[in-house]
Amino acid sequence: MRTNIIIAGVGGQGVVTAGLLLSEAATIRGMHVVMSEIHGLAQRGGSVSVDVRIGEVYGSIIGNGDADLIIGFEPIETMRAIARASNKTRVIMNSEKITPVSLSMHDKEYPNNAILTGMADKSIEIREINAVALAKKAGSYKSVNTVIIGAAIGLGILPFEREDMLSALKNRFSGKLYDINRDALEYGMEGILANQSASSS
Amino acid sequence: MIEMSGLNDLLTNEPGKKLFLLGNEAIARGAIEAGVRVATTYPGTPSSEVGNVLSELAKKAGLYFQFSVNEKVAIEVAYSSAISGLRSFVFMKHVGLNVAADPLMSIAYTGVRAGLVVMSADDPSMFSSQNEQDNRNYSEIAHIPLIEPSNSQEAKDFLRYAFEISEMEHIPVLFRTTTRVSHQRGMVELGDIEKKDAVGFFKSDPANFVALPVNSMGLKEKLVKKMERLKTVSEGSKLNRIETYGSGKYGIITSGEAYNVMMDTVSKYGLDVSVLKLGFTNPLPEEMISKFLREHGNVIVVEELDPFLETRVRMIAQMHSIGTKIFGKLDGYFTFSHEYNPDTVAGSLSRIMGFDTRQVSVEIDATALPPRPPVLCPGCPHRATYYAVKRAVKMSNIKNPVYSSDIGCYSLGVYDPYNEADVMIEMGSSIGVGGGFSNATDQKVISFIGDSTFFHSGIPGIINAVHNASNVILIVMDNRTTAMTGQQSNPGMNVNGMGDPAPEVSIEAIVRAIGVQYVKTVDPYDLKSTLLAVSGALRENGVSVIVARRECAMIRDDRMRSKKEWKTFQVNPEKCKLCMNCVEKFSCPAIFIEGGKIEIDQNICDGCGVCAEPYVCPFKAIEEVQTA
Ligand code: SF4
Ligand code: SF4
Repeated sequence: MRTNIIIAGVGGQGVVTAGLLLSEAATIRGMHVVMSEIHGLAQRGGSVSVDVRIGEVYGSIIGNGDADLIIGFEPIETMRAIARASNKTRVIMNSEKITPVSLSMHDKEYPNNAILTGMADKSIEIREINAVALAKKAGSYKSVNTVIIGAAIGLGILPFEREDMLSALKNRFSGKLYDINRDALEYGMEGILANQSASSS
Repeated sequence: MIEMSGLNDLLTNEPGKKLFLLGNEAIARGAIEAGVRVATTYPGTPSSEVGNVLSELAKKAGLYFQFSVNEKVAIEVAYSSAISGLRSFVFMKHVGLNVAADPLMSIAYTGVRAGLVVMSADDPSMFSSQNEQDNRNYSEIAHIPLIEPSNSQEAKDFLRYAFEISEMEHIPVLFRTTTRVSHQRGMVELGDIEKKDAVGFFKSDPANFVALPVNSMGLKEKLVKKMERLKTVSEGSKLNRIETYGSGKYGIITSGEAYNVMMDTVSKYGLDVSVLKLGFTNPLPEEMISKFLREHGNVIVVEELDPFLETRVRMIAQMHSIGTKIFGKLDGYFTFSHEYNPDTVAGSLSRIMGFDTRQVSVEIDATALPPRPPVLCPGCPHRATYYAVKRAVKMSNIKNPVYSSDIGCYSLGVYDPYNEADVMIEMGSSIGVGGGFSNATDQKVISFIGDSTFFHSGIPGIINAVHNASNVILIVMDNRTTAMTGQQSNPGMNVNGMGDPAPEVSIEAIVRAIGVQYVKTVDPYDLKSTLLAVSGALRENGVSVIVARRECAMIRDDRMRSKKEWKTFQVNPEKCKLCMNCVEKFSCPAIFIEGGKIEIDQNICDGCGVCAEPYVCPFKAIEEVQTA
């Protein structure tokens, strides 16, 4: 058994923290986890991706087509990660747009979602979630990554349960912060189930 | 940012306890377990977290930690500690070992008393480096043992073993990781913590420690004998092991991260291989390898970068007259460049072993997506400096300026719209290279260097430029930290690696003492003063220095947040004339266009206010957000 998860986003969005939380929940379940974590220049506001591998694995790099789940923190970065997907890969996409300087600098605007999601072939289903709105509802913009993790758990393809993630959150947060993250997790789980897939709309 | 929570766990003396550790954290733990008393480094990715952790824990762990001025000095400090009887650990990124190579070659001759391990974190695929040199080769040039771990557990365990080897033959040991090993997170079972002396004593022995030719002659012969004896140790070492999968038809020899990607391929396709996994790679276990070669008709060497193992395996086959077919890079099956991944390794193995690789990727043209390279942070003082310098050069009507850049966050000045890096080679090169341009051409030369890089290796270049009457404008981008690698201290700061108060070394006093006449210090957030200082320097001859001093935006953020003095800026659409200067020329990542209007992303605006200055927004359309 192996579960390969790619988390993709923009430096500063909390991609690494999300990877740590997923890893922690899996280790709470007693599973073997390997995670890649790239630091340094590659982090500064540029594209960032973290690979989390659970089960019988050796290295931290997920091969092309081997991802079971892609968690995209941002639409453009989600699509970049899809280049490493197969048509069996499940995809969650947070709708928060962060305009790359490469566009603004040339007076260009962020492409709309239909153009972006239309770039991949139709065989892949992309489930969109407005994690920022749900995070704010939970009480803090910073809980965006917990909302997105909730969405991943909601899809039911992670090899651990909601309770394991709650324990992982408890290890990291206390008091009011824990409450915010607990709510964020719930909103994410409910949110993904309520949402239609972005690619089929 | 590095996750620092639970750092104190690294000090627990509970053998058997398991922690989920970054390779570099496991290495720091390995140093603590080994009873290291002195640890030194110059920060460099992918080695940086080892220092961040040890700096944080030094006092509690009872060790002395130093962010040295550069790698050469770091190794010298660790060496004198090791010959005073204290276990010492020095670590750096691969290119740092070039800086430290001079002492390394000679301390191999003199040897050490207590253990000395030198770690090189190599960077295949150059995630944050200028080249991907394979530093295993240094172990051959220096005649020192080489240890290569593959994951976090091995990183910790092998480091302890490296200290044992070092003390066995009183020889420095090279410990080599790569980005994927240093930055892989995995479960690590802790061991016990060894107790070692805290204070050393140096017993004089000039015949051994003064590397005059008369002494070095004999020391070289001793060194060769040490390595000869270590061959037997490598032969029986638990770091070198054989694993068999299926019928074990093909033999595979591998080490480091290549082992991981190769094993993922083996388990994905269910291949029949027997794997000789090497962790002690110089001297190699020659008998073990020749036996392995004899037992297999076909042996594949899987390793990243140079054919370090492959050439030696082929040599062993030749010396033992073994006819086994050997596959690797030299016959074109594997590449010499970049890190391996499960796809490249599966591709190479399938060509040799003849199995079908399944390629099931989704079709998408990722090259059509807008690129998102790393950028200077919102509020980064370097953006303001680059903006001002570019304006000054234009206003002064300078044709064909040459921008000589250096290593740091500010290397990103190479990108649009700044384009203020024409050349960038290595740490401290901006001034030496700049001085060369001034000799070779009539062009105006502007060199950029960061504060940490200035101390690391910039100073000799300035002395050279002044003494040889070069014309160079040097802009020291002093952001009060070593930013790119995670905000370590440097000699320009009032705190050192132990967290103790330290004397600040003044950049201005140094350049004045060298003889620079035009020395100006400016706050880059103040675009006007910066512009005037640069324009002034452009009228000067000789070497002029501008110190653009303003702390890294990340440090400023942390302080503002803790003081709850957070502010942000926004665009007033009534005043904005859509001149596009802020997006086209200043290009802070927080500023973007939506629905034909300029907007500022309130989640990432850092509140520096530089975009609100008339030099960026001539219409005063950018205003501070007034919170009620
Ligand atoms: S870390 Fe500091 S110096 Fe580096 S880009 Fe960000 S603000 Fe600038
Ligand atoms: S104030 Fe302006 S330049 Fe500074 S971070 Fe905010 S948008 Fe960027």
